[in-house]
Amino acid sequence: MKYYGFDKSPLEQYITFWQNLLRGDLGVSISLFPGNSVVSIVGSRIPYTLELVIPVLIISFLLGNWIGAKAAYIGGKLSNFIYFLSVFSNRLPSFWFGMVLVYLLAIRFHIFPPYGYQTLEIRPMLWWDISTWNPTAFLDKLRYFCLPFISLFIVYLGGWATGMRAMVIHELDSGYIRYAEALGFRKNKVQSYAQRNAILPQFTGLNLYLNALIGETTVVETVFGWPGVGRLMYQSVVSQDYSVIFGSFLVVMIVVVVGNFIIDVLYGLVDPRIRIGGRA
Amino acid sequence: MKIGREYFKQAAGIWSLLIANLKFKIGFSIVVVIALLGIIGPFVTPDPLTYHWDESGLPPLTLGHLLGTTAPWGQDVFAQLCTGIRNSLFVGILGGGIGTLIAVLVGTLGPYKGGIADDIANFTTNIVMVFPVYPALLVLSAAVPKEGRSVLLVATLIALTSWPWAARTIRSQVLSLKEREFVNLAKLSGMSSRSIVLREVLPNMMAYVTMVFVLLMGGAMLAETGISLLGVGPIPQFHITLGSMLYNCMSNPVASWREMWWWYIPPGVVLTILLSAIFVMHSGMDEVFNPKLRRV
Repeated sequence: MKYYGFDKSPLEQYITFWQNLLRGDLGVSISLFPGNSVVSIVGSRIPYTLELVIPVLIISFLLGNWIGAKAAYIGGKLSNFIYFLSVFSNRLPSFWFGMVLVYLLAIRFHIFPPYGYQTLEIRPMLWWDISTWNPTAFLDKLRYFCLPFISLFIVYLGGWATGMRAMVIHELDSGYIRYAEALGFRKNKVQSYAQRNAILPQFTGLNLYLNALIGETTVVETVFGWPGVGRLMYQSVVSQDYSVIFGSFLVVMIVVVVGNFIIDVLYGLVDPRIRIGGRA
Repeated sequence: MKIGREYFKQAAGIWSLLIANLKFKIGFSIVVVIALLGIIGPFVTPDPLTYHWDESGLPPLTLGHLLGTTAPWGQDVFAQLCTGIRNSLFVGILGGGIGTLIAVLVGTLGPYKGGIADDIANFTTNIVMVFPVYPALLVLSAAVPKEGRSVLLVATLIALTSWPWAARTIRSQVLSLKEREFVNLAKLSGMSSRSIVLREVLPNMMAYVTMVFVLLMGGAMLAETGISLLGVGPIPQFHITLGSMLYNCMSNPVASWREMWWWYIPPGVVLTILLSAIFVMHSGMDEVFNPKLRRV
């Protein structure tokens, strides 16, 4: 009791909590990993979450926008079909879609392992960790990575494609595109202009999607037993480990805020109008 | 009374416009069909919570069990599905409703009070916006004792985390409406700012608020399913929702959930169709209310 400071009054505990927080100390875990500091527990889990979130965000952004733009150019029945398909895929609850994928691809046809993140005999490895990189571990990881990745990826792909299709159609209708067409610009050139303007609102969407994605990863990680912060949070909620719950929530918030900051900086790179400095 | 009549007149006008739109018609009819399943279903199906040990784990299309039964308990999956739809819709309407209410309050209060109130409203919106929904709900529901987690409470918690983007868009709508002539006229004629908001600004935003409600409703149902899957939604033993069906199936110690596809695939299919229908309905409304989009 003394170790956790439960013998002091609530007010005192609260003040100590803030003092420790400002020093970067989130306390120690109570039930899940008794005695381990929350910072080290959460810190060891963040890379696994990022490993899942970052590829999903980047690849779905690139591919989704490409599909959306193409769908807008071709028009007609096929375009509408892509629209409905992407709306539908964006409405899939990713965690449930993950369960279905497990049933189809892991239980029915043994293509991917249904659960976990690494075969036990192989040493754990992160994508970007060069010191432990080796082909066996990489391929092994890839097999485990596929299902959670696909279940999040398909959902977000649909979201980007829907948005981009609407934006490009809107841009293709605008004055400068008509003018460029009237001047006899090549089709590729015109399309690249439209695309460049249509991508801007998509970049703003990146912020919202990052928030949603990090939230959904919590559930998907639990379904697949992926050892990220989300699963840690779930485990600690189940075992009522309050300091870990709080610590991981704080870390998730920090990841979101830092992510948003990076996206804002990127937005300055793609849109010259909002660059800070007021040179314009 | 007069205010009520104004809103009613607005609503009737909106409805006749909407029902002429194809997208809205398609989406709305799918939602109605699923809602009917949830409203009538529980009355004609057997009790979804009673145990039938002798009928455990029957596959779908067995006599008397359209979608089979659950594994150790032998409950009818179709009956669970109907009750689940009902409870999930309840969460959606309640969560969406409360969320819309908060969004309207925060979104209109800021521009109309100005000064510190506006700053506080903006600050709160930005803070809550950064909360990732599922982790926040996980923490909130975990803070409530297990016995207290009713459908009502979960819907309220969802509403508390889902309103910020809606508040922000409503705020910008209010800001643009505020500068219109008819509002200036009302101001000149000496109306108080409260009645300006209630009688001039809000009736003109009815269409937009309805759209916000529809989206928040879909979001609330999805969020409920997500946190129920983690077991922190309404208590899964007493409240059957689409999400708690998934949870009961997944946390099932007897039969491996991965084999019993007829237990967890139907709730997801229903939810996906429902959410897609809501989205199609929403974009139909968008086309009607936003003349710019009508041609696309």
